Amino acid sequence: MLIKIQIIVGLLSILLILITVELIRKERLREEYSILWLFTGGAILIFILFPAFFLSRFIPRVTGVFYLSAVVLIVFFFLLLIVFHFSVVISKLTGQNKDLAQRYALLELEFNELKRRYFTSNTDSS
Amino acid sequence: MNRLERILVIIPAYNEEDSIGRVIEDVRTNCPQMDILVVNDGSADHTSDRARASGVVVLDLPFNLGIGGGMQTGYKYAAEKGYDIAIQVDGDGQHDPKEIPKLLQTLEERKVDVAIGSRFITDLEYKATTMRRVGITVLSKVISIMVRQKITDPTSGFRASRRKAIQLFAVNYPQDYPEPEVVVLLSKSGLKMAEVPVKMSQRYSGESSITKIRSIYYMVKVLLAIFVDWFKKYPLLIGE
Repeated sequence: MLIKIQIIVGLLSILLILITVELIRKERLREEYSILWLFTGGAILIFILFPAFFLSRFIPRVTGVFYLSAVVLIVFFFLLLIVFHFSVVISKLTGQNKDLAQRYALLELEFNELKRRYFTSNTDSS
Repeated sequence: MNRLERILVIIPAYNEEDSIGRVIEDVRTNCPQMDILVVNDGSADHTSDRARASGVVVLDLPFNLGIGGGMQTGYKYAAEKGYDIAIQVDGDGQHDPKEIPKLLQTLEERKVDVAIGSRFITDLEYKATTMRRVGITVLSKVISIMVRQKITDPTSGFRASRRKAIQLFAVNYPQDYPEPEVVVLLSKSGLKMAEVPVKMSQRYSGESSITKIRSIYYMVKVLLAIFVDWFKKYPLLIGE
């Protein structure tokens, strides 16, 4: 039973890593956001390659959680990290977006003012 | 009042085409020596055109930023153009421009950086629902304790600010619930403020952003926001 789970999860994590790398290569995903995904894929792969050590000895000893629940816990933990990271990024983007909109409005006003003055002074001289 | 001071009246407006013209007219007749700036916060109606037709300076934001982001744009403009005093008047007509001299007088006489118009110091005729009253009372008590100064109307957006405060707002202005949060921000930045009793009329048009049902929800969120503000680290003001 375990070997089946090992193969499925192992393939999935390899797929995750490959997709991440491919997206970076195509510049569809920025490196700064890919690191956590690579870590997640790598961590799952390591856990599933050495299940005897990690799942039945290391994690139970450290956390007291056994087996499948341990896998769920790990996955949940990484997803939590990723979602949290996104919240931080979105907050930063919101602030930058606001600053940009404000700057844009101020510059547009200045620009229209200059344009108006330029045209009135040109018609005056002609 | 010093005649050499340059004063800017900032009117934030979001979909206020019915009232904006009248507000601008009111400010003009009561304070003819002041410049007027309308910040059009991405309105979908003719707010911008109506304001422009009145001949005032109009700042058009490319999309709606909310009252905090809109007001801050006005303060950025005031800071850039070197205004000495900026006065904030709502675009929906609930702030009476006749009261502007009172704000200026307070800035002058009490030597404060910000004068805040309050509905609740003397005039208790202002009509507000009971729920909203309770909300404002709780808020004002909590904020008063936080800033160690009696604040009766923390939700008032009718304010006059001196240069120091303008510069502070240009770099740091609360976005979510700007009126109560500004009070906390000012106190944390070491700027002085004072309240002035003013009359506020019923809005000409539009709905308050705080409806009856949402009062409690609003209060809880504002309390949370100001508690977070209280623990925030603010950059120190540089120079004068």
